[in-house]
Amino acid sequence: MATISFDLVSPENLVFNDEVGTIIVPGKDGDLGILPGHSKVMSSLRPGRVMVYNEDKSLIKSFFVSGGFAEINPEKCIVLAESVVEVNSLEKTSIEKEIQELENKEGKETEEQLSVAKAKLEAINVNYYDKI
Amino acid sequence: MPSLKDIKTQINSVGSTKKITSAMKMVAASKLRRSQEKAEAARPYSSRLEEMLSSLASSAASGEGIIKLLTGTGNDQNYIVVPVSADRGLCGGFNSSINRETFKLVKSLEGNGKEVQLMPVGKKSRDFFNRVMKDQIIENFVDLNVSSTGYESALNISNKLQELYFEGKFDKCILVFNKFKSAISQEVTQQQLIPLDVSNSEKEEEKDNSSNAIYDYEPDEETILKDLLPKNVSIQIFKVLLESDAGEQGARMAAMDNATRNAGEMIDSLTLKYNRTRQAFITKELIEIISGAESI
Repeated sequence: MATISFDLVSPENLVFNDEVGTIIVPGKDGDLGILPGHSKVMSSLRPGRVMVYNEDKSLIKSFFVSGGFAEINPEKCIVLAESVVEVNSLEKTSIEKEIQELENKEGKETEEQLSVAKAKLEAINVNYYDKI
Repeated sequence: MPSLKDIKTQINSVGSTKKITSAMKMVAASKLRRSQEKAEAARPYSSRLEEMLSSLASSAASGEGIIKLLTGTGNDQNYIVVPVSADRGLCGGFNSSINRETFKLVKSLEGNGKEVQLMPVGKKSRDFFNRVMKDQIIENFVDLNVSSTGYESALNISNKLQELYFEGKFDKCILVFNKFKSAISQEVTQQQLIPLDVSNSEKEEEKDNSSNAIYDYEPDEETILKDLLPKNVSIQIFKVLLESDAGEQGARMAAMDNATRNAGEMIDSLTLKYNRTRQAFITKELIEIISGAESI
């Protein structure tokens, strides 16, 4: 089966770079599943999970991104994300604490941080893309 | 003629200076490696962002709001110049060349009747422009420490710049920074940050080929561009900060290497002088003894 090359890039470093089978990215208007040969798309991303799968559809890694962009063409998929963490390394208790703190504050920036934190919590709790 | 003891003290003091400079050289060398790695790690992101932008930029017509970061305000009157220097000295001409270049740029812009404001980054340029053009500084950023704080530090600068831009405080923003060429050479570079200068990017020819194909945009071009442009400003600043940081370490390493070598040479010549003086004393004492013995 064919593969597609996938780059996950954050401002600080190149997080992931390999040939993979399938990728799911959290597009602004809904999740995008990307297989080799996907048509050319450029999309902005909402905070959520980027899932990377092998050719046999087994999950390689899942990342949490706080937004960014994806550029997709038939051979390659590039995700530019502002901050990238592996979902496994997120800690539920510390995020819940962060959300509580943020809920007590106001302002536009806090709102953004809050939505990112909530998305993080969701990323830990949900598992609907673990098997595809 | 200096006494033996004077020369000895001088040798000792030059020797301890040499120790310090060679230690600083080592520190700079190891920091350089780290900064260089950081600068290289950041490169994929900025180059890909640039690629995306350039394929989008052509489609953007003039517009209001954030698109202005790309199209400009339509005016060419108010400038903001951002010199990026280091926080510390002892790195050769690194800081002074930035200050000199910025000073020249400001003067030439003013000569053309433009209004120029300054936003120095780094203690050395802040201090310099505090002395010569105090009333033109609108904001300064010091102690950024980009190699440890990372992207956050760039975000602060970028947010401030965009805030000022959308308040209509300036039409064009120019960065002056040291571009990291190699460990021993830096090049003072000017880069126009706002409005974005797409034509200036290095890989333009490549892009022309790739942008022939038509992309689907999700949600749509304008929304993506609105997200992408502010991010690009931050990323460009981040890249510049990292390059400047690596350049600083490189410049310091070279300067300290020179200083160490000079100190070594100085010790050699002082030691020679010391030995000669000692020999002269011995000869003198011998002559005294011999002539004393002869006279008896």
